[in-house]
Amino acid sequence: MTQTLLDKRLYDVLNAVALKKMATAAAVSEIVDLGTDQVREIFAELAHSDLLALMGETALPTDASGPVLVDSAAAIYGPIRDDPSVLQVADKFEDVNSRFLRTMSAWQQIEVGGRKLANDHSDSAYDAKVISTIERLVSRLEGLLEALSEKDARFRTYVGRFERSLEKVDAGDIAFVSDPTKDSVHNVWFEFHEDLLRTLGRARKE
Amino acid sequence: MQVVAEGFNAFETQKTPQGEVKYLGSPQDVIDVVQSGKLQEYILLVRGGTTTFLTPALTMGALGVITMSGAPESHLGILSREFQIPCVMTAYLTESDSRYVVGNTDDSHFDEIAQSLIGKTVQLNCDDAEVGRVSLIG
Repeated sequence: MTQTLLDKRLYDVLNAVALKKMATAAAVSEIVDLGTDQVREIFAELAHSDLLALMGETALPTDASGPVLVDSAAAIYGPIRDDPSVLQVADKFEDVNSRFLRTMSAWQQIEVGGRKLANDHSDSAYDAKVISTIERLVSRLEGLLEALSEKDARFRTYVGRFERSLEKVDAGDIAFVSDPTKDSVHNVWFEFHEDLLRTLGRARKE
Repeated sequence: MQVVAEGFNAFETQKTPQGEVKYLGSPQDVIDVVQSGKLQEYILLVRGGTTTFLTPALTMGALGVITMSGAPESHLGILSREFQIPCVMTAYLTESDSRYVVGNTDDSHFDEIAQSLIGKTVQLNCDDAEVGRVSLIG
């Protein structure tokens, strides 16, 4: 069955919504090279094609968006999928990702006598150690982000987003570690992971 | 109350959410339940800990979640702790021998759990350090 293939502009917007799971035009505009009004127009176009569902100002991806994104990514990023300069660094991501997820859990919960208790963030030394590990793991993405950015400049936005969220954390706003309602390190990491999988045509591991 | 399923507890909490088990298998299912205005009547059942399309339901105030695969360290586990939404992960039926095995679980395992839980009114108990429990009520 022939699928709709999106041009790069439509792909970037639909991909951004799919990564965020629900997003306003303003939020998408911050991570694609388009103004809010332009994104809003594309939202309408994608909704007309049944690829987005609009709930007020918020867009959510429909079931139909999944296969269209997969096929469009294959067409757009075909050359990257065979590029050794990308694959060499991408292959190391899963290991770094596993460590990142464990570190996020350590940020949320502290082990005391075999029990996991919610981290109340009263132990600044513990928090500092976990944040240091998070910063080190984010820095491990530099090579991969650079390799991808050379092929598609939009991947450079992740570099800026990681920097901004880590700056907030360093300034004491620790919600930017993992708060899902902010552009936290965990949110940015998670979006990058999904983006990477779609770009390279890989499946998520359990 | 009869415990019908158990799994990994994503985090300890005294919350005991109750609701009808609703299976969400696709992004459209999430859109439908959010648009229905009945999100808070349901305990959400999903297939995996990597079921990322569930995020809007968590953001909009889901009561509780049951997954049939995935670990508390997964993305969904992390989100459930952030939103403080009780979450029983890799749940299995207490009266069945079928267990989830990474990379070696066929659809019959998931179908059996779904058929046993969908539409039932349950309560989640997540006050144990390791085990989350799903009990039938009513």
